[in-house]
Amino acid sequence: MTPRSLAARIAFAALVFTMTIPCQAEEVRPHLTVGTQEISLSAGYLLPHRLTTEHTTKQSGPALMPSWAMVLTDPIGKSFYRGQLLLGAEIVYIQFQEPFLTHGVGFTPKIKYMFEGTGRLRPYIEFAGGPFYTDLGGRIPEESSRFNFILTAGGGLSWFFTSQFSFNVGYRFHHISNAGTRMPNLGLNSSLPFGGFSFYF
Amino acid sequence: MNPNTLRPLTLLCCAALSILTMVPGCSRWIEMAPHLDTQDPGAQQIARDEQVPLIIDVIRTTRNGSPQNTSAETQQRILSSLAEIGLFSQLSAGAYDVSPSNDKIVRAKILLSETIDPHAGGAAWKGIVIGASMYTLTPFLPLEYGYAANVSLELERWDGQVKRYEGESSGTARYQLFGATPIMIDELKGHVTESCLNELARQIVRDTAFYTASSAPISHSDIRSVSIRRLSPKIPDASSAPIPVTVSAPADR
Repeated sequence: MTPRSLAARIAFAALVFTMTIPCQAEEVRPHLTVGTQEISLSAGYLLPHRLTTEHTTKQSGPALMPSWAMVLTDPIGKSFYRGQLLLGAEIVYIQFQEPFLTHGVGFTPKIKYMFEGTGRLRPYIEFAGGPFYTDLGGRIPEESSRFNFILTAGGGLSWFFTSQFSFNVGYRFHHISNAGTRMPNLGLNSSLPFGGFSFYF
Repeated sequence: MNPNTLRPLTLLCCAALSILTMVPGCSRWIEMAPHLDTQDPGAQQIARDEQVPLIIDVIRTTRNGSPQNTSAETQQRILSSLAEIGLFSQLSAGAYDVSPSNDKIVRAKILLSETIDPHAGGAAWKGIVIGASMYTLTPFLPLEYGYAANVSLELERWDGQVKRYEGESSGTARYQLFGATPIMIDELKGHVTESCLNELARQIVRDTAFYTASSAPISHSDIRSVSIRRLSPKIPDASSAPIPVTVSAPADR
């Protein structure tokens, strides 16, 4: 199975799953209080960015991101930016299909700011960073070591089907490098569009 | 040191660090502000035929100064608390309750003011620091959530005499990150509200004699007057002044 067909199958499965959820007649307004926990699973496809002429590797492949987060604050702010802060952690797994079939896995604490939005549709921004191990390191000119760090920043939209369940789509920018612990260390930069589900309890 | 022994040792250290972080990082506790008035009014006795019914005309709730809908749960809790005193023969809520016109009844108005201090700024900064430390600082950075309540109760006896009571209490939930749960906030609110209602009950019990049926005769006035005004006026103007309306009392009074 090619990575693109895998991504298409995941998207189709998500669509079917979404359509099977019964529509609710009443208005859905998620009530996320301090201490509410979020468990989510997201999947996406990594696309390369060669930011300088020295970057030559076109790394790409599917990514899977199970995560946990907890609501830290009641809604803060009084304008369009009113929202809640969540703190959590995420495991990121990337299967690099190109340039070689290799794998990478990392653990990243993450902080997420979820805007109030329209109640049912809630935009968010997130930032995460942590250690990342990949056997792609040492086989490409940009990265010499297997032990690296991954930094992620992005945003997305959460659509609440029920007060506890949401469908998410978003975009992340990924940077992978070893923080200068070994040379060369040009780093790998990628875009990661993704989709997934969250459950709040 | 041999790399083969170093690797399991590193894993063991990581596991130990995780356990050390997780275990103390799960605790939570509630601190209540001390009461100023803890005087026990002592046991009071009232004959069953001396009890009068109580009707709660209105329960208003504000949160950080903003008007809120009073939840059925809060209403029920206030009713239960007043029922536990044993001073009143019957309790009901709602301004539309009709009682026999020649009954001696006590009418109540209740205002519940809640003040929530979620310490959002502190939680945000501590959260960032905890995340940046890969959660190792969790046991050393407790988070907090403050809640205070003030309940004022106005009781009007059947002869028009009014007495006011006030109870207030506050508390803070302190918790480590992994100990946070929405139940914790409910627990805090429950303790604070209970403390407020207990204080009110203590004050009402002191006035037991004031609410006995034999304490005052029913006032037989031919004309009763009520004030009608717009609720929660935002901009004061001349039209918001109370309009006196006279209502003829029923003939059997």
